[in-house]
Amino acid sequence: MRFLMLLCLVLGCTTQKSRPSLSNSVKIDVHKQQLANGMTSLIIQDNKLPIFSLYLFYKVGGKNEKLGITGASHFLEHMMFKGAKKFGKNTLDFIIEGSGGNTNAYTTNDQTVYYENLPANQLKTILEIEADRLENLSLDKEDFEKERLVVLEERKMRYENSPKGQLYQSMIQELYKGTPYEIPVIGWIPDLKKVSREEIHAYFKKFYAPNNLVLVLAGDVETTAAQKMIKDLFEKIPASPSVAEAHAALKDEDFTPKLVQSRELHVKGESPNPLFMMAYPSVKLGHADGFPLDIFSSILSLGQSSPLTRQYILRPDPMATSLYAAHQQLEKSGYFLLGGDLVNGIKIPQFKKDLQEKLSFFCENEVTAENIQKVKNNYLLSFFSSLDSNAGMATFVGDREQLLGDWKFYQKELELYEAVSVEDVKKSCREILKKPSVFVTVWNKNK
Amino acid sequence: MKKYLPFILLSTSLMASSLTESVKRFTWDDQSVTWLRDDKFPRFSFSIYFEGGALGEKIPGLTHSTFDLLTAGTSRENQNQLNEFFEFYGARLKSNVTHETSILTLSGLIKDLKPLTQKFCEVLKEANYPMDKVSSYQARAKSQIKSLVNSHGALADRAYRRLSLKGTPYELPVEGSLETLAQIETKGLKQRLLELRTFKKRIYLSGPKEVLELKDYLTSDCLGKGETSLSQVTLKKPEPQDVIYLVTVPEANQAQIRLGRYMTRPEFQAKEDEFSFFAGFLGGGFTSKLIQELRVKRGLTYSASAYVSGLRQYGRAGVSTFSKNETATEAINVIRDIFDDLIAKKILPEELNHQKGFQKGSHPFQFEDSQLLLSQIAHLDLMGRPMSDLVDYPQKVDSMTINILARSAYEIFPWEKQTIVVVGDKSLEKSLSKIRPVKIIPYTEFL
Repeated sequence: MRFLMLLCLVLGCTTQKSRPSLSNSVKIDVHKQQLANGMTSLIIQDNKLPIFSLYLFYKVGGKNEKLGITGASHFLEHMMFKGAKKFGKNTLDFIIEGSGGNTNAYTTNDQTVYYENLPANQLKTILEIEADRLENLSLDKEDFEKERLVVLEERKMRYENSPKGQLYQSMIQELYKGTPYEIPVIGWIPDLKKVSREEIHAYFKKFYAPNNLVLVLAGDVETTAAQKMIKDLFEKIPASPSVAEAHAALKDEDFTPKLVQSRELHVKGESPNPLFMMAYPSVKLGHADGFPLDIFSSILSLGQSSPLTRQYILRPDPMATSLYAAHQQLEKSGYFLLGGDLVNGIKIPQFKKDLQEKLSFFCENEVTAENIQKVKNNYLLSFFSSLDSNAGMATFVGDREQLLGDWKFYQKELELYEAVSVEDVKKSCREILKKPSVFVTVWNKNK
Repeated sequence: MKKYLPFILLSTSLMASSLTESVKRFTWDDQSVTWLRDDKFPRFSFSIYFEGGALGEKIPGLTHSTFDLLTAGTSRENQNQLNEFFEFYGARLKSNVTHETSILTLSGLIKDLKPLTQKFCEVLKEANYPMDKVSSYQARAKSQIKSLVNSHGALADRAYRRLSLKGTPYELPVEGSLETLAQIETKGLKQRLLELRTFKKRIYLSGPKEVLELKDYLTSDCLGKGETSLSQVTLKKPEPQDVIYLVTVPEANQAQIRLGRYMTRPEFQAKEDEFSFFAGFLGGGFTSKLIQELRVKRGLTYSASAYVSGLRQYGRAGVSTFSKNETATEAINVIRDIFDDLIAKKILPEELNHQKGFQKGSHPFQFEDSQLLLSQIAHLDLMGRPMSDLVDYPQKVDSMTINILARSAYEIFPWEKQTIVVVGDKSLEKSLSKIRPVKIIPYTEFL
């Protein structure tokens, strides 16, 4: 069945100020299948081109780790490409790329996601590969030690040699101190150097299971045949008895930042100009209170006409070269974030004070019906962009199914965005700006 | 029928018919127009390719600034008013300047096509570059260039360009340098815009049939009457020095490595497809030679890539990677060994066949994204090649041989012709000097 879209043309929009309805503009046709072992699959059939994308969302990430095995989720992500029982050492990449496909993965605090983009005639092969590495990952000793070095190099690239990486890591650790979100996804260096193959294997057995997996297939497939293939290959793999308990043990309140008063941190790094981040604790992914804050963050920094850009960048004496605001929501908690690159000569304490005052001013004066509509217009185009490819569609539904419990959650999202009013946004921004915050800079002049 | 045809043959015939059905060519007001019909979403996009770029500009960085500052103001509206206008609609006005072309792209919802395009034309005709906005832009651009030390990879790309193209008109990046940016002012920007408007143009559109209404707006009155072609330059081929350039940055524990060379048009013109295939073999994908030797077998790096590409009057070939300080020299030696082995035809038939499978199988992905597809068509137009080359590429891949790979390696990567640039700590000098004499240059020379 073709992937369906409702055009906003149908809605007869005619004036600059009247806009297409968000909630009526996006419709996706997804076929869901639940296996006896707890695995979920979602299929979006689109036969326009002879290609497809396969995404596997495992619900395991940095937050599931403990001291001693920090970085395990990410390390395991690397090891998942090193061979299993049927598709052995160094075969996976060769099979996928040899047929014209590409593959990669990423790890976050909440998930590890594997993906492949392949020609349509490779479906059976790739499903066999995924089932094989889920059930029979090798964790070869020699590869394990080589990959340890690669991960340490990656850590250097992303954090130790990157002032922006240092900035982010410092902010997250300060904001989430004492919670599992404090642990960097890439892990602490002592743990990376010492973690054993056996520890990683135990971690794998606990979390890599069909009842901890959402599989998404989008593209040139035939739904019924694909569902049968998935069932035949995956249903026989036993569920993990401990994963539900492991997830249940992670309470939302354990992830709430324990900030009782604002904190400030100045890190010495190699940036010749100051970089900063300022974060306020916020709500978790999917929370209704998050939607007005999403809109507030976009009002603040979307485009060159945004108040942050006008105030600090597009002025005769720019105070910053880039600024952003974002509402970042993780599965268990969230934060409202501002950040940017400041120019040299800026006095940080004055800038911080001015920024905090301006944020309150923007909350009262920039939250207007017109600015909210501007944000919604941009969101509509962003939704289209995110659904513009097989990979985009797979990510769109997979994230929602795993982290929000229902791929159809986007309909509620669109309704909630549609309904957000000036009063809602003002109420949210007033509340968030009263909270304690974390302010971090990285600069070569910091001591 | 579908399941009996060889997959690649089916794919190619599908791509050919897909391209023929979806892509139409015609002329508007003496300007060539290419339309890729895309009904998936109610949005449009158009790109104007000016047949002139940074080459021929009086001040390096002028063309890039001219387009960057297009919405700085007109006689009727100031910068904020113009930004507000485009951003309310969710529209994106972007520019991309190379040495040989300049591209302006506007995208948005199809229902907003008329007001957006009218405003676009107004800006293109009446941009007046107020000096206060120019000054603000210069200040930001300078700060961004100075902060390149935060990104050693970007700094390495910049240094490599300056050193490998020394003495050619392509030496400086299109954004200019700290020194040249200071020379840019209102009069020069206005003059450059007038010059760009006299260049020949090609228009690329995507969207549903309503996008053809652009004919009434994208006239020579809007875009300028295009009579001028790309300026021809006399190119003196830079002679590589038998040194390693060590560009020092403070406290780096990783070395960014760039090596490669400049190529003249005759060198790559007749062999573009062979070189493209070779670049994929050497450094495209996880199973490429570079990744396998550097990362998989030795754990020396997290990533490595290769490219061989050209514009109309020059080309470049290069390898890009990084490694920790202790293994930077080893990484360079491994790269050299790879080149020597390829030149000596130490290539297994299965390696060649694997790469053929990769490049043919991945070919349909070129057609998934409208913007990507159009930019490829535009590139073929720029190079004077027929659109059918896009569809025929898989057949050309079939004709590749070990001899072609070896010859490509010999022609592109003979060791003595390579410019080698390493960005890293001064302590690397001793180990690098075992490969070639080292010339140390502080990173500030490349800002």
